[in-house]
Amino acid sequence: MTNRIQIGIIFIIVNLSFGYLVYPNLVYGLVKIAHWEVVICQCFLQMILIWIYIRGLGYFQGNDVIDIYLKMGRWAAIIFLSPFVINLVTLVALNIRMHTEVIISIFLPRTPYWSIMILFFFISTYTAIKGIGTILRSSVFIFFIVIPLVVFSFFTSVVNFDLHNVTPSWYSPHKFLSNVKFYYLLGFSSFLFLGFFSFDKKITFRQLFVSCLGVALFFLSVVYIPLFIFGQETVVTLTTPFYEAMDSVDISWFSFNRQAIFFGISLVGLVILANAVMFWMIGRIMKKMFTFRTVKSSYWIIAFSVCAFILAIYVPNKYLIEKYFLWCTSAQAYFMIIIPFTIFIYGFLTKRGNLGYEK
Amino acid sequence: MRNIVKEIECKFSDHDDFFIEEELVDKTAIYLIGFNTLVDLSKSKLYVQQMAASSTSINALFINLSGQINVDSEQIIKAVIEGNLVIFSQDGEENAVVDPIAQNLRSSIAEPKNESPIYSSLDAFGEDINMNVGMIRKRLSTERLCHSSYQVGELEKRKLSVLYIKGRTPNSLIEKVNQQLKQIKSDIETIDDLNKQFGQRRLSPVSHLFATELPIQAIHSLKKNRIVIFLDNCPFALVFPHLLWDMLGSVNDRNFPFILSFLLRIFRVIGAVATLILPALYVALVSVNPEVFKTDLALFVAKSREGIPLSAFLETIAMVVLVDLILEAIVRLPKSVGPAITMVGGVILGQAMVEAKLVSNLLVIVITAVVIASSAVIGMQNSLYIRLLKYPILILASLFGILGVCMGLFFTVIYLASLTSNDIPYISFHIEEKGDTK
Repeated sequence: MTNRIQIGIIFIIVNLSFGYLVYPNLVYGLVKIAHWEVVICQCFLQMILIWIYIRGLGYFQGNDVIDIYLKMGRWAAIIFLSPFVINLVTLVALNIRMHTEVIISIFLPRTPYWSIMILFFFISTYTAIKGIGTILRSSVFIFFIVIPLVVFSFFTSVVNFDLHNVTPSWYSPHKFLSNVKFYYLLGFSSFLFLGFFSFDKKITFRQLFVSCLGVALFFLSVVYIPLFIFGQETVVTLTTPFYEAMDSVDISWFSFNRQAIFFGISLVGLVILANAVMFWMIGRIMKKMFTFRTVKSSYWIIAFSVCAFILAIYVPNKYLIEKYFLWCTSAQAYFMIIIPFTIFIYGFLTKRGNLGYEK
Repeated sequence: MRNIVKEIECKFSDHDDFFIEEELVDKTAIYLIGFNTLVDLSKSKLYVQQMAASSTSINALFINLSGQINVDSEQIIKAVIEGNLVIFSQDGEENAVVDPIAQNLRSSIAEPKNESPIYSSLDAFGEDINMNVGMIRKRLSTERLCHSSYQVGELEKRKLSVLYIKGRTPNSLIEKVNQQLKQIKSDIETIDDLNKQFGQRRLSPVSHLFATELPIQAIHSLKKNRIVIFLDNCPFALVFPHLLWDMLGSVNDRNFPFILSFLLRIFRVIGAVATLILPALYVALVSVNPEVFKTDLALFVAKSREGIPLSAFLETIAMVVLVDLILEAIVRLPKSVGPAITMVGGVILGQAMVEAKLVSNLLVIVITAVVIASSAVIGMQNSLYIRLLKYPILILASLFGILGVCMGLFFTVIYLASLTSNDIPYISFHIEEKGDTK
């Protein structure tokens, strides 16, 4: 049932939902000029990791990540995957909270944030409970509602561009590669969910290549649009540069006052689906890891979404959210390196072991 | 001697339309048994006489008349109830079930009543299941068209026919439907009774079955790897599974050049989306998020609502419910009274409510647009469920404004995406998997 176009689309959606808010800030903090080098390097690194991940999964036909860890042993699965679940829960909580703050500032300045969070949590959990089939199918439709809006916002922002803001555009000593913060960026390229489908057919890297390119283009524009509009000195002082950039656009022939509402609408669709994917991953891990208790994965999803909701409500302010979110993504980056490599190495070893056995 | 005849007479003593007629053939008596409400007696008698004239003996007559000879009493009773003529010999030893000249109780092939196709043949399905299957067979003459029939139900055995094209429809789907139909224990009275047999959708507004009156549409669905189910005495072909595409595209569109049919389908998409979000968008933009408009537009909207005492949500929900009531009332009323309601409704909604400053001018325009838009989709049931789904979005919009509108729209999309019938998702556009031709 899983179609490769749908997988490419959900890959783009998850990346988009992470990339909108904090990602530009990190890039601006990392370098002062030639930001594209950072973005391209990050996307390149991401592609290498995806390649390793898919090669690793390719050794185990028809199994997902959890099955592979369970093959290594139940304890290996618990050691590797339970921190991952905790990481995912915090990530969901902070992600929703952070987006809620932005959405409140766009649409509803007087509404309490918990009411909007309930809505987000409810819809994400509902989608996750309905399963990956629902997530994939709805992602296609939501993609076609959201992407025109994203592209529209990108293109309308061109009116405010000032090309002098981004010169010079070449900077050769790549100091940022040794900066730890660069590896934080990796946390935004979420591709780990690719290993959670149980494929009938093998997924190949080539199928994802177009989506990777799309995501790289998107990251570039998310970083460069505020830069074109405000310039490096202003941009570092802003909390959500992309939102501010969208809000600065004013088109006279258009009947809407603020361009930012389109940005907000696209954000809503992306956030719902990205969090649904994460909830679904949690449900799947918990169900497969604790087989001795036959609890339906939907109960796990509901339990963890309640946990995430409580966590999200208890974060006191916006500054702390961003700080925690960065911690969370750095932890995520750690898993992004460790999981593909362990799977690749284990797959490689078992394959060689099998060959040796056959001889 | 005539035990069995007596037994049957006894059985039908409560039925005044039951007859036992004695007839002389070749100097021996035979008995004709049946219901005179179902069998045209005088013509049937004539038919039997004519057949008798050309037969040499009673036995030969029975063989000439029928394929079912000397059946047991249970089958005789069943045959009589189904409207057949049963003939007994004088001693009651021999009998024959004869297909009689029946009373004309069915309307003939007529034009479609619930759909009005343009650029299309105008035959519609009728009441008789055999006639309906025949209409398909006549238009789709291939040996790969398969037909399996069932009789289900507790009180009465209702006939069901399942049609599919071998090699097109996935075999797994055929097997599943086969099993599900065989498991039916309860009576199938309505289409929804049948719908319930295909699994969990108790509270869902979207049915597993798409009902169509047009043979062309049914044949098109068959060719697109789907199953068509006929229910006796139900003038619809029920296409299984029901897909989202049924709402947007019909086969008659393709009688136009491609670009025109594409345009038609785009309009239907716009219609469906507009029905879902227009009232909600009105509430959101007027009451929660008026600041998103440019100043002159915002002032215009505010001006149109000047002096209106109701809140935007209340006025919208009142109007939406009123309009849905009118649509329902027009359907129920006899054709001679219908226009009166339309006129009164039009006057009240269009003028009186606006002049009384009860609702705003803008809302009347929005509501009119919604009614027109909801009728643009294909199929009455689709139009109905789209009209139903606008209410949750309306409520969300009144709470969260534009955020509520898009949340509601996304939620609707996710809900529709979660629907499957026998593992075929509702929002897939066609069924790819093909069956074996064996």
